[in-house]
Amino acid sequence: MTTAITRYWQDIQPGEAFCTESITISRRDILDFAAEFDPQPYHLDPESAESSIFGGLCASGWHVTAVMMRLLTDTFMTEHIDLLGSNGVSSLRWRKPVFAGDALHSSITVEEKFPAGKDPRFAFIDCKVDVSNQHGDSVILLTTSLMIGTGSEEAAQHG
Amino acid sequence: MDKAPYIRSRWFEDIPVGEFHVFGNHTFSEKEIVDFGEKYAPQVYHTDPDGALDTIYRGLIASGWHICAVWMRMMVDYMERFATGVQDGRRNGAGVGFQDLKWLKPVRPGHTLTFTYEIIEKSDKVVRDHWGVIRSRNEAFNQYGELVFSFVIDILAERRPTERRPTE
Repeated sequence: MTTAITRYWQDIQPGEAFCTESITISRRDILDFAAEFDPQPYHLDPESAESSIFGGLCASGWHVTAVMMRLLTDTFMTEHIDLLGSNGVSSLRWRKPVFAGDALHSSITVEEKFPAGKDPRFAFIDCKVDVSNQHGDSVILLTTSLMIGTGSEEAAQHG
Repeated sequence: MDKAPYIRSRWFEDIPVGEFHVFGNHTFSEKEIVDFGEKYAPQVYHTDPDGALDTIYRGLIASGWHICAVWMRMMVDYMERFATGVQDGRRNGAGVGFQDLKWLKPVRPGHTLTFTYEIIEKSDKVVRDHWGVIRSRNEAFNQYGELVFSFVIDILAERRPTERRPTE
């Protein structure tokens, strides 16, 4: 997973947008994630899912956020951006259920950037992330604060 | 624990603002951190214990979304333990969304998180005829007592059936 980093926080500006590849979520994926993390009937059992609020077997909302993270991570790697984590999500809405066979992709738009704090090795960008299915329907919408490397080694040397 | 068996079978109207629960704890193993990282967040600090030493985290840490997934599992297990006859999943509330989610401290292999929630608000809004919205503040503390994770989530709870819609 080592890729040459060529873009740091300084190189990213508000307004810049990225479009991710897409990931198709299979029935197996839905069942596996649900068995491990969210074993509720509408994520595990097709029959009781039919009568649930979703109207069918659908992915856990946290499965969708995990897939969002994979889409975002892969895109930032492809763009050679030094992604160093996140400290939070100011808001997220689950807007539509995700069913087996749905293909998800995402747009990631940089909204704001904030200078480095105490640790000069990274600084923050706020991104709006909109994940859509193959019909173009938005399934989740969130705003997250991402830590992007600045290329500074200072704190690393001082511990 | 006398009231516990009724937690999951209650209607929206029965759930009091201010109710507080310590609902689970979980120890994160290196293997599960790496497994989650490889699937969903393949940065070196989530997937490679040695490579992670050279990052700002100086070691492997769990993906924040892994912490969220474990929060969900703790919550489902808690509700299951106290379920009384609600078998069809109808009264299981779906999440609408959340806000102010913060990952405050890294979670490392061997760390144990304890999860809590408090009901902080009930909205008057009615969703799809028979659901109400319950807002709760959720927090997780590590074994040192440090707050590592918090967020506020809105979850649907089924409203008590009206006389217009008699239950059988």
